[in-house]
Amino acid sequence: MKFTKAFKHALNMVLHSKLRSWLTILGIIIGVAAVISIVAMGEALEQDMTSQLDDLGGDLLTLTAGASSAHSFGQGRMGNFGGSASATDEEIVLDKTDLQALKGVSDIKLMDTQISGRVDIYYVAEKGSVTVTGVDPLTWYQITTSKLKDGRMLGSADSNVIMIGGRVAESFFDKQLGINQLITIEDRLFRIVGILDDQSTSVYMPINLAYEIIDDKEKGVYDKIIIKIKDEEQIDIAMENIEQKLMIARHVTKDKLDFTLSSNQAQNDSRAEMINSLTMFLTAIAAVALLVGAVGIANTMFTSVLEKTKEIGIMKAIGARNNDILIIFLLNAGLIGLIGGILGIIFGTLLSGSLPALMGDTTGIMNRMFSADTIINLKMSVIAVSMSVFIGMGSGAIPAYQASRLKPVDALRYE
Amino acid sequence: MTKDNILLKLENVSKIYKMGEVEVPALKNVSVEIKKGDFVAIIGASGSGKSTMMNLIGCLDTPTSGNIFLKSKNISLLDESDLASHRGKTIGFIFQQYNLIPSISTFDNVLLPLEFQEIDDKKASERVKKILSIVGLSDKMFNLPTQLSGGQQQRVSIARSLVGDPEVILADEPTGALDSVTGKDILRILHKLWKEEGKTIILVTHDLKLAKYAHTTIELKDGEILKTYQNHNEVG
Ligand SMILES: Nc1ncnc2c1ncn2[C@@H]1O[C@H](COP(=O)(O)OP(=O)(O)O)[C@@H](O)[C@H]1O
Ligand SMILES: [Mg+2]
Repeated sequence: MKFTKAFKHALNMVLHSKLRSWLTILGIIIGVAAVISIVAMGEALEQDMTSQLDDLGGDLLTLTAGASSAHSFGQGRMGNFGGSASATDEEIVLDKTDLQALKGVSDIKLMDTQISGRVDIYYVAEKGSVTVTGVDPLTWYQITTSKLKDGRMLGSADSNVIMIGGRVAESFFDKQLGINQLITIEDRLFRIVGILDDQSTSVYMPINLAYEIIDDKEKGVYDKIIIKIKDEEQIDIAMENIEQKLMIARHVTKDKLDFTLSSNQAQNDSRAEMINSLTMFLTAIAAVALLVGAVGIANTMFTSVLEKTKEIGIMKAIGARNNDILIIFLLNAGLIGLIGGILGIIFGTLLSGSLPALMGDTTGIMNRMFSADTIINLKMSVIAVSMSVFIGMGSGAIPAYQASRLKPVDALRYE
Repeated sequence: MTKDNILLKLENVSKIYKMGEVEVPALKNVSVEIKKGDFVAIIGASGSGKSTMMNLIGCLDTPTSGNIFLKSKNISLLDESDLASHRGKTIGFIFQQYNLIPSISTFDNVLLPLEFQEIDDKKASERVKKILSIVGLSDKMFNLPTQLSGGQQQRVSIARSLVGDPEVILADEPTGALDSVTGKDILRILHKLWKEEGKTIILVTHDLKLAKYAHTTIELKDGEILKTYQNHNEVG
């Protein structure tokens, strides 16, 4: 029998199949849809990771006050500024003394002192809440990994000016924000001088202004010091030297550290690891779903062969060779896989398209994850369809072979 | 009688069915020759071994011992694949239960043997239409088997057995599921094929009235040939 004829009969078998076959196809659909949406998610996460790794230079360190873990929480140096209430508290902070100490470390190229907090922001009649970060305008533009989309960076002579993240400009308010527009933050008017090329809702301003805007911030005390080192290759040595210097300045020992120094590299590594294991876990679930689909096809094929035993006998009586029967049943199984695969891709795409709405679309990851180029990925679709056809034929192979080996007289007698 | 005249020959053929420990001898050392162009009726009581003999002649089953020659070729020695193409080209089957494929139309059922023989589409479909008009079913071409009466279904099955232009037609109780009037119609078609087309017909029946259409009668009893006789004034 010619291949096209065998294909016609296989297709006819699928179209005339009972509900059971369609349930099997549903199994494949779920498996493929799961794989599609998980692969889409994993790919997007990975893309996001790599773009962040590109952005955040590996030569940056972040210094914060307080121990990184509770058990090493030690006795800190007291805040000692301007007779404020906190001067007598035993609060652990970062301040000018630390900055002074760090200036003596030769590995350091630049430092940026930062504070941040949430503030209310007003534009025309609308109100919102954003994170304001006060930065050192002298160094920030050299340290930050954010790229400029429009306008300019903050300068040393600036007052009452801000830079805003891409999302604040694009979609935070009903109207888009542009360069030189004025917005109100906590009763004060600011002029936008620059827009960042990102999807953040951050607002940046010189740190001196930020002290006046953000509640409960004390001048001369920093939330964070971002350190850029001279040689990325020597990051371990640089961290060692910085830690030494700070331990002396803050009178603490190694096992009672009251500050945390972390590299972006390390942060990224652990995040990548986490995403990796998450993706692996999800992939395992998808694989199980596909496996269930494959078992379903095999089961359907076995029952189908039983059901069609008499027809196999008839076909053999009127001249079908073993190979004809084998090919018809293999194609039948492959077609079940093909139909399931194609529908699975459609449902998988719809599913991953509707996820952001369900999860509250807020972050850049989500945005990138579900952008058109990730979802309607031709390569991925081809792989998924050929995979399910392969699974269909693979799991249909044994029943198809058994069907082809039936003795005509036995098959004909079957009721 | 020349050797060329013998279409089918059974030589000391035995068939024993094994049912677990029990052995059922269905044919015992049977030898018979069937001439080309003959109309043979195999008769005998139920369980006498008629269908067993038919299945062996039709290459649907293999004998436990003995040899079967089809056109002087020993088919006991052929493998499944060769048997299949042999069947397709030389033998047409008609079964008691019609045995049509239920999910495809009359036309496609009759076309099926030609598809297995890889006859090209145009030639095949012309042949199918011609055969369907011979059995009087031109107007039922696109009906499914379930939309036809028993007699019509059996005519489809006759058309299917004829479409490959086989030398011999094997019919195992072809009227068993039909009323006597429709049964006679079917027998008349077979008789006509014998008389006018020169086909060799082998008919299995337990109905002695139907056996009268045949030229040669082989009577089986308990797996052995009781007697063989010629009928010189067959009806039809
Ligand atoms: N597949 C089989 N397995 C076991 N016994 C069988 C089988 N087919 C037929 N028989 C037995 O062989 C004998 C002959 O059967 P069969 O050729 O069908 O007779 P008939 O067609 O004349 O009624 C019967 O006793 C029957 O029970
Ligand atoms: Mg019988």
